[in-house]
Amino acid sequence: MGKLLRLKQAGVLLLSAVLLLLTACSKKEVQDIPKATTDGWVRPAHFPEPVYRFGDNVYSKAGFELGRKLFFDPMLSRDGTISCASCHRQKDAFADGGAAFSMGIDGGISRRNSPVVFNMAWNKSFMWDGGVNHIEVMPLAPLTNPAEMGDNIKNIVRKLNQHPEYPTLFRQVFNRDTVDDQQMFWALAQYMSGLISANAKYDQNIKGTASLTTDEQEGLTLFRQHCASCHSEPLFTDYSFQNNGIDHVFADSGRYRITRNDEDWGRFKVPTLRNVTLSGPYMHDGRFNSLEEVLAHYANGVQQSATLSPLLQKNGQPGLGLSDNEQQKIISFLHTLTDEEFVSNPYLVE
Amino acid sequence: MNRLPVKITLLIAALVTTTLLLPSCKKEKQSTPIAQNGDMKVQFDFVFGSNQLPWEIGKTMVHTKTGDTLTFSLLKFYVSNIRLKKTDGTWWSEPNSYYLLCTDCEEGYSFTVKNIPAGNYTEMQYTMGVDSAANTLGASTGALSLANGMFWDWNSGYIMLKAEGTSPNSPSGNFIFHLGGFTGTNNVITVKSTDFGGAVLDVEKQKYPVVKLLANPARLWHSSPSVSVKSVIHAPGPEAVTMAKDFYNNIAFKALEQ
Repeated sequence: MGKLLRLKQAGVLLLSAVLLLLTACSKKEVQDIPKATTDGWVRPAHFPEPVYRFGDNVYSKAGFELGRKLFFDPMLSRDGTISCASCHRQKDAFADGGAAFSMGIDGGISRRNSPVVFNMAWNKSFMWDGGVNHIEVMPLAPLTNPAEMGDNIKNIVRKLNQHPEYPTLFRQVFNRDTVDDQQMFWALAQYMSGLISANAKYDQNIKGTASLTTDEQEGLTLFRQHCASCHSEPLFTDYSFQNNGIDHVFADSGRYRITRNDEDWGRFKVPTLRNVTLSGPYMHDGRFNSLEEVLAHYANGVQQSATLSPLLQKNGQPGLGLSDNEQQKIISFLHTLTDEEFVSNPYLVE
Repeated sequence: MNRLPVKITLLIAALVTTTLLLPSCKKEKQSTPIAQNGDMKVQFDFVFGSNQLPWEIGKTMVHTKTGDTLTFSLLKFYVSNIRLKKTDGTWWSEPNSYYLLCTDCEEGYSFTVKNIPAGNYTEMQYTMGVDSAANTLGASTGALSLANGMFWDWNSGYIMLKAEGTSPNSPSGNFIFHLGGFTGTNNVITVKSTDFGGAVLDVEKQKYPVVKLLANPARLWHSSPSVSVKSVIHAPGPEAVTMAKDFYNNIAFKALEQ
């Protein structure tokens, strides 16, 4: 036993000597800031595996909080007046509630309706036309678009490096000497991935902690019959591109702008319906102000065109032919997708 | 076995280890008989038109085919995935191999491939543009940083070549060609290779061979119309493919200096 102890002591001595030497050899001082560990990103049990796998962008609480600070910081815009959160507000499920289009710097107006920002780690593409292929590059458009935040990335990186707090915060998360644009996009990706809405009444019903009313349950049955082939559970979108018949002549070509494929005229990405009671107005141009208008459209307002989704035609006629009562029941069900905890959790905002 | 106490044995071991480790702290370079890795330079030279006239940014040229008078203010493009073929037929591929070239870029219209295993090479492969995979991997650093302004924000993918300038033949007085696209029929990425005109590239430490390639910006309009008809391209598509491929395909080996 005594021998073993001495062996251990000597071993520690040897290790210390080697460590001391290694430290002395390294050019830089050993950083006392540890690299952040993965903590806090938990996939809801009834959700599939996410599309975004983080990779080298190791998710951490500090990374989420840094992304949160960036998301709410108007310094990221050219004139310091607009932040991401200006048009993506928590109470609206991180959409721009009530506004068909959003206001950027210098009175600029966005081309399309501001989408919700949550459950982004499952998105296969971004923007209404799916033109953006990765969550990390998603903020590039709003940050640089002259009608939105209007700055350029080099200037934003310069501002971050000159800021009294950001360099330390970035070092704590990514452990690099200076802030670069990759770290900024990574932090924003961590924040957006960490905004998870999975605790609506619908979810509680799945978990068995709440039960749906008769109307809601009937609404769910109708929803599964008429809507769920595109707005598929549990994320309430299949991320496909569809022409849902709101036009037959297209002022906005939609997905065609990206693919230049004739089949994509007037197609837009199917949006999630989670928190849909909070995120109106609806459609890519915010033309419908209420869910009643939306349901009335699907019931009997669908317009025929070459690229209209075949799922929105019945017996060769456009529209789903839903009765008023059926529309009301579907709306009742849609209310069970509102996640009150998500839109009131103070940790998610600055 | 029992002649020395364990503690003393280990102390000696610690001392020996310390002594062994100490020399590695010295910063001076060690000489070793093993051939060390070396660097090489790849440089783009330019001529304009079938007459091979000398060309540079800011110089006004007349295009013999379209008749346009063209003054470039910017020519910026990516070269990626440098590979070298050894005399034994095996290939060395540079890891994370992406370069952005322009007058104001790090090394202008050239770049240095570092840390190549010493040896003789008979062929170099290089890719004009950024390979497909790198267009889908999110935020990056260095030549691929989004801060370089070479990534489309609305239609993800690298702008693999920017050609901008002025022309009295263009209705707006300007031409702006942003060429890229990495999928399907919109793919402009072009893998090229050179055998150094039969010469052998000798890579070793202390040497700095230079591979010179020759590019001809007039080739952008080899089968594309005059800037009076088309002066702006801002998206992937057949027009971008034609223009980029005409330019890329014409790039040729010029010289190996070593």
